Amino acid sequence: MPHSHSHSFHSHTDHHDNHHSHSHNTIAPTTRIVCTLIMVVAIVATPDAHWLTWLIYGCGIIVLLGMSQVDLFKLYQRFAVESIFVSVSVLGILFRDGEGIFWQWGFLKITLTGLLVFGSVLCKLGLTLVLMNLLTLTIPIPVLLQSLSILRVPPLLIAILGSMYRYLDLLVEEFTTMRRAAIARNLLAGKRWQRLVIGNMIGSLFIRTYDRGNRIHQSMVSRGYQGALPLPKSLKISWRDRLAFGFTILFAIVGQVAFYS
Amino acid sequence: MHHNSISIQNLNYNYPDKTQALKGISLDIHAGDRVALIGANGSGKSTLLQHLNGILLPQTGTITIGHYPMESKYLREIRNFVGLVFQNPDDQLFMSTVWEDISFGPLNQGIPQENLIDRCEQAINAVGLDLKDYAHRNPGNLSGGEKKRVAIAGILAMQPQIIAFDEPSAQLDPRSRRQFIHLLQSLPITQLIATHDLDLALELCSRTIILSQGEIVYDGQTEDVMYDSGFLHQHSLEPPLSYSRPYCDRKIDKDLD
Repeated sequence: MPHSHSHSFHSHTDHHDNHHSHSHNTIAPTTRIVCTLIMVVAIVATPDAHWLTWLIYGCGIIVLLGMSQVDLFKLYQRFAVESIFVSVSVLGILFRDGEGIFWQWGFLKITLTGLLVFGSVLCKLGLTLVLMNLLTLTIPIPVLLQSLSILRVPPLLIAILGSMYRYLDLLVEEFTTMRRAAIARNLLAGKRWQRLVIGNMIGSLFIRTYDRGNRIHQSMVSRGYQGALPLPKSLKISWRDRLAFGFTILFAIVGQVAFYS
Repeated sequence: MHHNSISIQNLNYNYPDKTQALKGISLDIHAGDRVALIGANGSGKSTLLQHLNGILLPQTGTITIGHYPMESKYLREIRNFVGLVFQNPDDQLFMSTVWEDISFGPLNQGIPQENLIDRCEQAINAVGLDLKDYAHRNPGNLSGGEKKRVAIAGILAMQPQIIAFDEPSAQLDPRSRRQFIHLLQSLPITQLIATHDLDLALELCSRTIILSQGEIVYDGQTEDVMYDSGFLHQHSLEPPLSYSRPYCDRKIDKDLD
């Protein structure tokens, strides 16, 4: 992948590529990915109810948000959408069995243990989501994909991520077109019917995606693709990257030690 | 450049449901030719094109591309020899930036980094775009005409000896179509253009091959067949619009006299 070349053209004309960051311009995207990964592991591996540790990590993230000057509204929008999906999957934790009943209604009960674990999971989720969003907001997706391949992430996985990024807009566009066509034939007749039709649309979109995937694969093969893209140049590490890397590890350890002291 | 770019002898192809898509196709395309491959929907044009690039291999019959017989072991050479431009550029532009997409083919060919920039710059300039303006753009945000150009640049960057186009003028507005015709006229390369845009065929290609239900029903001068509206109707085609206008009719009558 043309990693070195891509930096010689710095006219990010697409809205997708319009992410600017002052604090991050000096640190290589690969370092940012690794540092984010270290912090995510530190946050997730923290035992339940270590609130002080998360408070310290949270403060660090707030400082990072300030330095990076990301668009906070954009961050909030993404965070809000992702939170809905994530919350649904963790809601079950709140009603788990445990000691000390906090609230009960019929067979539904919230225990103190459940509350503690739920609160801990929410802390972990909140912090990691903000971190991951900060990463994707400060690195343009193409550069992020290049960096992943420099970090030797399996090429197939990167190819899948790349295709998802490239074709997401196209899928949304196709869905909107189908929905428009359905509305033109009075889709809005009833809520139940509407749900049924949208379900059918998603099904047909799935089949179309399969067809399109097949055609894309043919076009890749016709241009000599044999299962893997050539690997980009190897990693170059500057003193700034070393400093960022060292500081992240130190910060992760400080957060963990603070709780016990 | 090889004298006989493409040679096909008695090619047959059946779909998995046993529908016969190609029946006894035999043709030769010489270096430097620009040939139109015309046929109604479902006539087998796309299936034939996919055979030229080795996406489909012959079930019976033989295909020779340059001096390579169409066999699995020569696919790499054949795909460097024949570039295939797909009908829908969205199927072809799969990388996240224009630069990555244009360099995709050359990278697969193993072109070293130092030659890559020149190779891609030449390709994108050939389609009338500027690399500096487009390199970092997301192909999804380009207009239909731009997408088509980038798709062609991606093929040109591989420096093939033949380019096969599948319905190249579909989804193009009149101005983009006109620019596209000029672009094809300017490319000094063997071209096979599968289309049902007969006006485009008439303007670009001196030779036309007509496919109907998987068979070649005509192979000859483009102008000769365009006059024969009965023959074209018989194979679910219509004469070019430029021939069906009154002043053209008068011209045809005069010519026939």
